Amino acid sequence: MLPNKVTIWKLRNNNPLRKSYVTNNIKLNEFEALIRITVEMSKYLYPYIREILKSKEDIEENSVIWNDFNKRFIELIKERFNIDSMRVKKLLNQAENDEIIIKSLLILSFCISTQGYQKLKNFLYDF
Amino acid sequence: MQNKLSFHQSSASLEIIGLPDYSNNENKDKISIISQWKLSIVDKPLIEGKIEHLVPIMNAFYIYSNLLIKNEIPIYESNLIDIKADNLHIHNIVLKSSKPNVKPLVLKIGNSLLSDTINCFDQLNESPKVRIKKTDITTNIPKKLNFGFNKKVKFFNFFIPPFIAICSLILFSSSLIYFYSPFENIEKKEQINPE
Repeated sequence: MLPNKVTIWKLRNNNPLRKSYVTNNIKLNEFEALIRITVEMSKYLYPYIREILKSKEDIEENSVIWNDFNKRFIELIKERFNIDSMRVKKLLNQAENDEIIIKSLLILSFCISTQGYQKLKNFLYDF
Repeated sequence: MQNKLSFHQSSASLEIIGLPDYSNNENKDKISIISQWKLSIVDKPLIEGKIEHLVPIMNAFYIYSNLLIKNEIPIYESNLIDIKADNLHIHNIVLKSSKPNVKPLVLKIGNSLLSDTINCFDQLNESPKVRIKKTDITTNIPKKLNFGFNKKVKFFNFFIPPFIAICSLILFSSSLIYFYSPFENIEKKEQINPE
């Protein structure tokens, strides 16, 4: 389905929030392949995802990990996304983006089981 | 001799103790008749209960986590367990005892412990060694509805661009009518051909 990294790179451009947005209609099997990659990455990155969530829970004692993640997240959004879009502005707004980041990390952390692919698919369809 | 199976995820671990169903010719290492279960979370009191409590508690966690993610009010209440969100990071769990005069157990867990617990329950659900009434809360999706939505999007993608093009053409050409005066043209023709 995704023979090489270039195919994945092209599929990323289907995101309407990106600067390099291309209106290719993503196919269902490509969408499912991206979900599978995301789940596998979540399994691999679960210890990091967990630490970021934990850092936010006791921000007064352990704020380094959360602050570092938040900073890198904002830098990445500014670099790759269309910052004129209202939705992207919401992602960059420090007062509003906490909830979006935490919920996204929670979704990823709930989908690391064998049935994680099906779970993530359901979450995305429900959005 | 009872079988014991443990499911671990970072700071949470779930222990299931029980016996195989020999009447169904099951393997010795399987558990079909659960006699005891224990959920231990680091720095929190041990949670244990009867077999009939395990599935409702698992369902409570699954329903609550779904509500939490779907931007709905994250509150789950039942006669066995209440889960409420104190804020975005802390979840308040109240486990009510079925025995009289026993105070409910109150736990406060963060997002990291919540995801550890959910993952322990997932491991139990997916384990081929334990036979338990499976929790399908997160795997049930109205497929027809979702794929119907996809078709609707495709339909709009197909028809909207030509529709907008036709509308803009009509609007543009209707504005040109102000530059066209049929009486002026007739007068000009009369001047050219005075006969």
